[in-house]
This record gives sequence, structure tokens and C-alpha cells, in this order.
Amino acid sequence: VSSVLLVGLGDVGIRAARQLVETDGIDRVLLAGHRHRGVEELAETFGDRAEASEFRPGDPLPDVDAVACALPDDLDVKVVTTAVAQGIAVASSTDAAPTIDRLRALSDMARSREVTVALGCGLAPGLSDVLARHGAQAFDEVDEITVARFGCSGAASVATVRAELCGRARDWYDGAWRSTARPAEEIVWFPEPIGARDCRTVTAGVSLLVDAFPGVPCVGVRLGEAQRRRFAMHRRVGDEGEWGATRVEIYGRRGRERDVVVYGVIERTAVAAGTVLALVAAQLCGAGGSTIHRPGVHGLAALVEPVPFLSELAARGVRVATFEGAPVG
Amino acid sequence: MLVLGVAGIIGGVARIRSKSPVPRSEGGWRELEGPDFR
Repeated sequence: VSSVLLVGLGDVGIRAARQLVETDGIDRVLLAGHRHRGVEELAETFGDRAEASEFRPGDPLPDVDAVACALPDDLDVKVVTTAVAQGIAVASSTDAAPTIDRLRALSDMARSREVTVALGCGLAPGLSDVLARHGAQAFDEVDEITVARFGCSGAASVATVRAELCGRARDWYDGAWRSTARPAEEIVWFPEPIGARDCRTVTAGVSLLVDAFPGVPCVGVRLGEAQRRRFAMHRRVGDEGEWGATRVEIYGRRGRERDVVVYGVIERTAVAAGTVLALVAAQLCGAGGSTIHRPGVHGLAALVEPVPFLSELAARGVRVATFEGAPVG
Repeated sequence: MLVLGVAGIIGGVARIRSKSPVPRSEGGWRELEGPDFR
């Protein structure tokens, strides 16, 4: 019997709340959001397990077993830092490289306080990291991991993608960081209906994979952005948001053969991210079919046991595919 | 969930850009299922 504080009730937070109240072993979900968003009314719609909290980033955390944070940038850093200081396990959905780096700097403090911090709990970073671990387990030696994502979940995510696509990109190449001013666009083939999209190398999420796969010489992440709409359209009630996708490629050696494993996911980006965030927060409490406990700051490739996690995600409607191909050319 | 509907459909080129000497391939997407999700 555990309790979780969910902070941030945007596109991802709302989906995470829905998942948390339906998770066996979580009997209390505290919801904290912006004061004008009617948190109490929202909590009522989630049933008896949910209740509104007056927590604001910067406040001391209430007595809970884990925190799920779906806030952007500075607010996210505030909440995670407070959780580490109070010795409470925390999952963050951040996908912004500067925020990830600021939170990775808390690793020594988290280890000394025996606190597990899970970063990048979304579609990518997030589920993509779990798939990278899953794929890597099929090889004797891995020599390259590439992740691509298309799609955003909420305004903060859109801002992150645009910032990532405009700035310098860093990837891990031949065992060292490589910086590129403006990487060229490349076509990435996601599962249909997303299909082929132009993507560009970005920094976000690379460091989490490099931390999790210290012997892998090449790691890269690419992002694609939907066309900007000329006319903004308000969402309909019940609209589950934009479709997104991720594609993960793991190259390596199995025996004397070199091979590649390719995974793909297509889902509403906010639904995938919210489900991953909720499941990680639940597992930090020992619920959700598994227990995560590894003090320090980590991405999901270093924290999650892939098969039980994928099984639990599939039961919640988030499914993964593999690309099966025949050699050509 | 939509992955179900795309299994078997031509999925395009499997490889985007890599240092690794793995041949290009064409094929389709197959949904992973338990118990091993391979």
C-alpha cells in the first residue's frame, strides 16, 4: 500500500494520474497542479484514490513513497532536488538536455541519501531507453545505439523540441563527445501512420544512454517535428493529443555475426509518456509488477527490467513492434 | 495499439545511418508479444 505525489497536470500529468489511480498497490495519489486548473474537481473525476494537494514546487514534500514530476525545466529541478533532499524516490518526465544535465548533477547527493531518481520517463527518452536495454540483451557486444522520436506532448515539449532542433547537437561518437553546429536532416522510418520523417541529431537523452551503456562507442538521438499549424485549433473534449513515435536501433555482434535490432512504437505522445511516468513511479514504490531501487540519478535503461516493464505497458495499451527485414542491395 | 494494424505492411528502409557494417533491408513491423517480447 503506497502513496504517490504527482506534480504537474498538463498533457502528460493527466495521463499519468489516470494510470496511477488504476495501479494495484497504489492506494493514494496526491495531485498537485496550477491553482487555477481546478485540481480538486479533477481529483474527484479520478475516484477515491485521488486527492488534491496544495504542494507547489519549492515547498516541502508531503509524506509519500514516491514523486512523479511532469513539470518543465526549473520547476522540475526544484521538485526533484527537494525529493532528493527529503530522501523520497522521484520520477521525472523531462526531455530537455539542459534539465537532464542539471538533474544528473544531483547523482552524488542521491546516492548518499539512498534515493533513486529516474530521469526521462517519457516516450523518448524513456520507453526508448527500455527498448535499447532490451535490444542490447540480444547481443554479445553492442557497438551503436540510435534513437529517434517524432512528436511532442504539450507546450513544454514543443518548446523543448524547437530548442533542441535550433541549437548545437552533441552525440557520442567513437567513445567521445562530438558537437555539430547544425546537423543535416535525415529520413527516419517510423511505423505507419507516422511513416518517413525528417529528423535531426539532438543532444537530449544521449547522456542518459551513455551513462547506461558505458562500453558502447556510438550513441545518437534524433528528433523530428510536426509541421507548424498555420491556424491553431482548440482541442475537442476527450481528444487524446498528438500522435508520436519512436524508433530504436541497436547494432552489435552476436557470436561472429553482426546484426541490428530495430524497435518502433506509435502512440499518442502524451499517453505513452504519461503511462511510462506512472509505471516508473509505481515501481519506485514496489507496485506495478516490479521494484526499482538503484540510488543515484539514472535513465530508464539503467533502472528498468525490460520484459516485465514492456509486459505491464502492453497491458496498459502501449505496445511495441520490431522491424523485420530482408537484406537488399 | 496502432502497431497491430501496421504489422506486415512495408515498413521502408531499416537503416538510417550507422557506422556499423549491417546490410540495408526492407520489410515490415511486427508487434512484440510476451512472454519474451522478441
